[in-house]
Amino acid sequence: MRLQGGAIDEPLITESANALVGVETETYLGEIRLRDCQRYAIAVGDLNPLYFDEDYARTSAYGGVVAPPNMLTAIRGWGAGARDDDLAIDGVVDLPEEKLPIRLKRRMAGGQDLQFHAPVRPGDRITRRGGIVSLEEHAGQSGTFVIMLREDRYYNEREELLVTCRETVLVR
Amino acid sequence: MTPCVEDLEVGTELPALVKHPTQVTLFRYSAVTWNGHRIHYDRDYAGTEGYPNVLVQGHLHGAYLTQMLLDWIGPGGMLQRLAWSNRRPAYAADTLYCRGRIARLYEANGQHLADCEIWDENQAGEICARGTATVALRSRA
Repeated sequence: MRLQGGAIDEPLITESANALVGVETETYLGEIRLRDCQRYAIAVGDLNPLYFDEDYARTSAYGGVVAPPNMLTAIRGWGAGARDDDLAIDGVVDLPEEKLPIRLKRRMAGGQDLQFHAPVRPGDRITRRGGIVSLEEHAGQSGTFVIMLREDRYYNEREELLVTCRETVLVR
Repeated sequence: MTPCVEDLEVGTELPALVKHPTQVTLFRYSAVTWNGHRIHYDRDYAGTEGYPNVLVQGHLHGAYLTQMLLDWIGPGGMLQRLAWSNRRPAYAADTLYCRGRIARLYEANGQHLADCEIWDENQAGEICARGTATVALRSRA
């Protein structure tokens, strides 16, 4: 049924979207490399010797060179990625684990709540487990939007929990 | 130098970090995080979404706040928690002032911890991201 203004009178969060809430997936992300940690730090403009100088880092509380703490959870894709033709108009690709069967497509990073349980070190082989915790519909000035909350946990090859990330994404 | 908890009190301000993200910064951060979102490197496209310039990535705000905290805590400190939410867009060529202040000092699990309020603001004093962090610090005791 069409309402005034062309809005469609059906729930924004479909049943098939709701079915994804609470479903956990596991993804092997690969090995963390020193060069990639340092490239991340360079891109940020963060020249902390904790990321570059093993002698310095060994005597620090971190005990050795580490990845910048928020690096793992800032990287948007870990595989080979999408071909140009598979990108949406805004250049974003719907990752299989993030594909939402709802009619809104634009995403905005809302923020993250990160717990650092143990440092991420070059050579760590990372597995991520997590999924959507909740989907909520909100009414805003420019229309309704959806707030998606995800939780992901990152482990190394020894099954040590390194980082827990609760991420808020606005879908509008 | 890592600050000692004895030298800190609730309300102590953290040393500010000033960042000048440029278009090049944003392009490289998108590249290194494998982020294809055009609003961060394609100004014409960003205009079609109503933005006057390319946007600072939400995660880059988090990275700047991380940098501020690790600069402050030095080699003897560790970052245990970082939470932030993006409040308004920042754009290429903005100046971002990352700031914080201590909200709570306490001991837990044998560690000396400080909870901090953290935020970054642009050159107009508008807050772009804000949140909280917990760091472990040294004690003289």
